[in-house]
Amino acid sequence: MTGPARLAAVCGGLALLLGVVAVGSLLVGSARIGPGVIVDLVTGRGPLEGAERVVILGIRLPRIAAAALAGGALAVAGAGFQALTRNPLAEPSILGVSAGAAFGVVLAQISGLGQGVVEALGLTAFAFAGAVVAGSAVYLIASTGGGLPVHTLLLAGVIVGIFFSAAITVVISLVDTNRLGGVIHWLLGNLAPIPAGALGVFGATVALGFWLVLGRARALNLLALGEEGAQELGVDAERLKRRIFAGAALLTGVVVAFVGPIGFVGLIVPHAMRMLVGSDHRVLIPAAALGGGVFLLSADTLARTVVAPAELSVGVITSFCGAPFFIYLLRSRVGRIMP
Amino acid sequence: MTTSLRALALCLLLVPGSGWGLEVVDQTGRVLTLPAPPRRIVSLVPSVTEILFAIGAQETLAGVTDFCDFPAEAKRKPSVGGMISPSLETLVTLKPDLVVATRSGNRAETFDQLKRLGLPIYLVDPSSVGDVLRLVGGLGELTGHRDGASAVTADLERRIKSVGERIAGRPRPRVLYVLWPDPLIVPGRGALVSELITLAGGESVTADQGAGYPRMSLEAAVGRAPEVIVLASHSGGTPVGRDKWERLESLPAVKSKRLYTADGSVMHRYGPRLVDGIETLARLIHPELFRPEASGK
Repeated sequence: MTGPARLAAVCGGLALLLGVVAVGSLLVGSARIGPGVIVDLVTGRGPLEGAERVVILGIRLPRIAAAALAGGALAVAGAGFQALTRNPLAEPSILGVSAGAAFGVVLAQISGLGQGVVEALGLTAFAFAGAVVAGSAVYLIASTGGGLPVHTLLLAGVIVGIFFSAAITVVISLVDTNRLGGVIHWLLGNLAPIPAGALGVFGATVALGFWLVLGRARALNLLALGEEGAQELGVDAERLKRRIFAGAALLTGVVVAFVGPIGFVGLIVPHAMRMLVGSDHRVLIPAAALGGGVFLLSADTLARTVVAPAELSVGVITSFCGAPFFIYLLRSRVGRIMP
Repeated sequence: MTTSLRALALCLLLVPGSGWGLEVVDQTGRVLTLPAPPRRIVSLVPSVTEILFAIGAQETLAGVTDFCDFPAEAKRKPSVGGMISPSLETLVTLKPDLVVATRSGNRAETFDQLKRLGLPIYLVDPSSVGDVLRLVGGLGELTGHRDGASAVTADLERRIKSVGERIAGRPRPRVLYVLWPDPLIVPGRGALVSELITLAGGESVTADQGAGYPRMSLEAAVGRAPEVIVLASHSGGTPVGRDKWERLESLPAVKSKRLYTADGSVMHRYGPRLVDGIETLARLIHPELFRPEASGK
């Protein structure tokens, strides 16, 4: 198959799968509502008010959109960090970038931000700033003369993550819980319904992040050959790295701002997609975007149905899947590659 | 604990022991021997602090917790810190001759440490309105304020009966009570708030959920089509996430402007103010039965 045809086939298949999972997710939940009523509501023929309308259009549907967006964003952020560091274990939560973003969000929360569009933008800005600070710190700690060794990078990420988690704990213990609302719950990843305006900000920011990473997919393929090789082929490696870093940090930040620091999606999905489509970033990144949506939406559907009428935090599910996966990668050939 | 045993335990026995001793059975059936009626009580339970003030036994209170915020004078008593981890040092320096603790809210470790220090501990374990009335009587006996306690219980019983008479024969609207919004925590089976809603003439949509105060998904709560939603406010603040509920405009309760706020501290505490809670809820659930006055909107 040629490049474009292959891209179309992979993305078409994944998009179809995402659609199937989304429909399945819309049909299940702790409130028992028949498929006929759901179809009526979604197609605009249903009752104009009532609990069923609120459940489907006000709670379930926005949640499905948020889960698909967040999953795609985290997977692309993971693929971006992996390309940037040429390290297969790089991932927003492992690198401590999620914790940095979470600290930014907690700081923003103290100032009592609500859920309007302006607040959503402010929250995203704080989260992005936190992600950039944490990511830069990891980079500075881990970079040696010869690049970013795998284990040094992981340790630096762990340390930075611990530092920011401690900072969050300090803030939580000093501030009245009433003002922090559901922060503790949110720290485990919480896909509560996001209002339409804020969902718009979320979607637009994710699109910007996708563009930053995907727009330089060909150059990322060259970067995989090593920085010098890429330079010889006309890639400005420093500029490229800054752009990818900004994109991945923005994607991480916006997800943390809206649904909390969910771990391991950026690790599992890019790897699964590499096995499926190879390592050409022009195909890998769109595939990761769709595959991440499928993965997180499935995880969240499980989280909200498995202990119904209560629910689990989606981060619990992704961590249960991700931790063994990480150990497997660390012990396999992949983890032993030393640049 | 079986009901009979509980009833036995709740009937606070004051048995004049041999010599000076005073034998007391607390709410969990433990027998403790006191040399004399307690004069320096440290209360680790905000509701007990409220009861002691209500029955006029505040002079016996030597120390309270940071959460003992009612009545206002309670805040002027020396504090031993929080309920989860009170400062034992502070507690000991207050030289209490009795510590009142609860099984729900204080930790077993605290109980064990107090026991090792040789301090007599009176455990309370109320789980219903009836338990609270009996606790008022028990604390009255313990501190020698029987008259004050009788006056308080008589007043509370009269007010509960008065609400009951008003709501008799009325339809019971479906009520969703939100204890905490995120994660959503609701009153379930056997929770005090579930009982208050019933006494106030409503039907709690979450009363068949897990015991106590279970977590629930927003979807499940909304799916039960509540006609009245009550958001608890905590420590005098506005309830967290009221805007989240207001946005669910097509929900019957929100559309008919029946999304209310109520002071959580009168609803969740096993103290005399729970009757204020019943009256407040009754006004919100059945506004048609009460004269227009300050509502909790």
